[in-house]
Amino acid sequence: MQLLDKLRILAAAAKYDVSCSSSGSTRKNTPGGLGNASYSGICHSWTSDGRCISLLKILFTNYCVYDCAYCVNRVSNDLPRALFTPEEVVALTINFYRRNYIEGLFLSSAVYKNPSYTMELLLKTVKKLREEENFNGYIHLKAIPGADFSLIEEAGKYADRMSVNVELPSSEGLKLLAPQKKHEAIIKPMSLLSSKITERKEEKKKYKQAPKFVPAGQSTQLIVGATPDSDLQIMKLTENLYGQFKLKRIYYSAYVPVSNHPHLPNISAPPLLREHRLYQADWLLRFYGFSAGELLDADNPNFATDLDPKTDWALRNLHLFPVEINRADYEMLLRVPGIGIKSAKRIVAARQVGPLNYSDLKKIGVVLKRAKYFITCRGRYYGATVVEPEHIRNKLLAGSKSYQPQYQQLSLFSLYPDIFAADEQLSRITGEL
Amino acid sequence: MLDYIYDGSFDGLLTAVYEAYYRKETPERIMSEQCYQENLLSTKLYVETDTVKANKVYQAIKNKISYGALKNVFYVFLSELPEAGTIIYHYLKLGWKIGNQVDKHLTDDRVLTVHDISRKVGRERHLMLGFIRFRQLEGNIYYAPMEPQYNIVGLVAGHFASRLADQNWIIHDVRRGIGAVYNRKEWIITNIDVKELKFSEEERNYQQLWKEYFNNIAIKHRFNPVLQKSNMPTKYWKHLVELT
Repeated sequence: MQLLDKLRILAAAAKYDVSCSSSGSTRKNTPGGLGNASYSGICHSWTSDGRCISLLKILFTNYCVYDCAYCVNRVSNDLPRALFTPEEVVALTINFYRRNYIEGLFLSSAVYKNPSYTMELLLKTVKKLREEENFNGYIHLKAIPGADFSLIEEAGKYADRMSVNVELPSSEGLKLLAPQKKHEAIIKPMSLLSSKITERKEEKKKYKQAPKFVPAGQSTQLIVGATPDSDLQIMKLTENLYGQFKLKRIYYSAYVPVSNHPHLPNISAPPLLREHRLYQADWLLRFYGFSAGELLDADNPNFATDLDPKTDWALRNLHLFPVEINRADYEMLLRVPGIGIKSAKRIVAARQVGPLNYSDLKKIGVVLKRAKYFITCRGRYYGATVVEPEHIRNKLLAGSKSYQPQYQQLSLFSLYPDIFAADEQLSRITGEL
Repeated sequence: MLDYIYDGSFDGLLTAVYEAYYRKETPERIMSEQCYQENLLSTKLYVETDTVKANKVYQAIKNKISYGALKNVFYVFLSELPEAGTIIYHYLKLGWKIGNQVDKHLTDDRVLTVHDISRKVGRERHLMLGFIRFRQLEGNIYYAPMEPQYNIVGLVAGHFASRLADQNWIIHDVRRGIGAVYNRKEWIITNIDVKELKFSEEERNYQQLWKEYFNNIAIKHRFNPVLQKSNMPTKYWKHLVELT
């Protein structure tokens, strides 16, 4: 098989893995070597689905022994299969890197023969890149669940980031859709990586020369919409993963219908809005000091579709608002809808040298069409409404593009407006319910 | 009205700022001679570039304001906007009055304008770190053409010198006719004129592989060209291998 065909098959097979980040590592180039890592990460291109290309994201092979219902590479799926050699992956990576197409390599794989055998192939490839080619660019490597721990641990010496995909948020979902996988088999390598990373960080504090171990941390991915799990369950899991395993990132992947399995939902398009809401909430957890329990509870287990999670939270906690821009502390500013991390920091910096007035906020970058309902500026409220949840909700929704107002021009010739249903109109006339 | 005119170099601009200070004049505008348009109402002063004077201003920005301010000033200069000189002049005057807190005056238009432009230049620099595409030529030289809006070739060269340290490469700003040339030891900015390019044997092969990859990594269920274009403005597409 030609290299071009292999690349076509194994890129297409890797595309459902969302992680693309190349950030978090400060790996330097070595004398005579090639490449380095950029701490902030660099995107090199964007594909027609609007997602960025930063790393050469490929599977080593899509031959798989598993039959997970949600996965396009399941053994029962009839599609072309291919298998790279370590030399081919190395040549692609080096030559793409020298042309500045990519920031590094993201190597994953289906489970070929058995987990340890697959992990050995991945390890062999990255070892070749680092030791024979002196490659110092970014490497993101999948830890294959079920592989021998010593292999995963050794791979961690060469990779900048490693990840184990949780994929399904609950163990019930896993039983239903991926009966060959065990929840514990996924959690174990994550906890191994997490403890190794912490251990090495402690060592680094004492000896600067201590070798690197997964310096950009570990990440994972959750598939959204393949199982009936609620947003609350997903956010609780997220919170635990960030807390317990110190994950750097959790990616959410809207389930793309790739199979007609009876246990899978019958949808025509991936639930992109839900995925978007989860990312917004994820940011609120990591950077804005929110907890999952604040954003969702048993009565509201899913995020609102019409408003973002922060605005929704603010409307449910309106007793905390409005806050005075010139006095509120940084943590409270972060909780105001329409104020992000950058504008909160700017507000804090700018008010050290003088009070802020309303027009200054626009210059600073605050999104006033949302923020104005939740703030006062030098004691004045600019929302022009009663500070009640329904009033503010209506005002906010009226400003959004997708909003269809529920009113119409009345006409002399119609008795009742069309927006009431027919039986409702009847009951209005007769007074019967 | 009094206009200062400098030769278009960074040193020239700093010299103009120096002259304004020591002559106790307040020029209405400080412009490069390339951008300057004659105006009957204004008096002109052609500033002669003087590296000693320029260096004094350079040090005064660094020591009396901050290193961050110096970076802002340089980035605004690289924007090559006609009003860049004047904007820098007002920002520096305020900076010397206030000191290192000047960048906290986010509501002052003199500061805000400088931050805005500096951010735009910095953003384009960052985008270019990703968008530059090298082509391997015969003789194992890697050549990358680009057409950035701002004059950022000097801001990206250092990144590639440490990253692609074992390659000979050229980054060519096609529109400005300048480029960074690196010989595995050091890089310089120089005038460049390219007539004919001969790709190496394997170049077409890797371009084809890259295009194949690019087309197969997209998910068609999520097709969203508007998002693609907002992340990657079409003005940069011309030199991207995967889109030509």
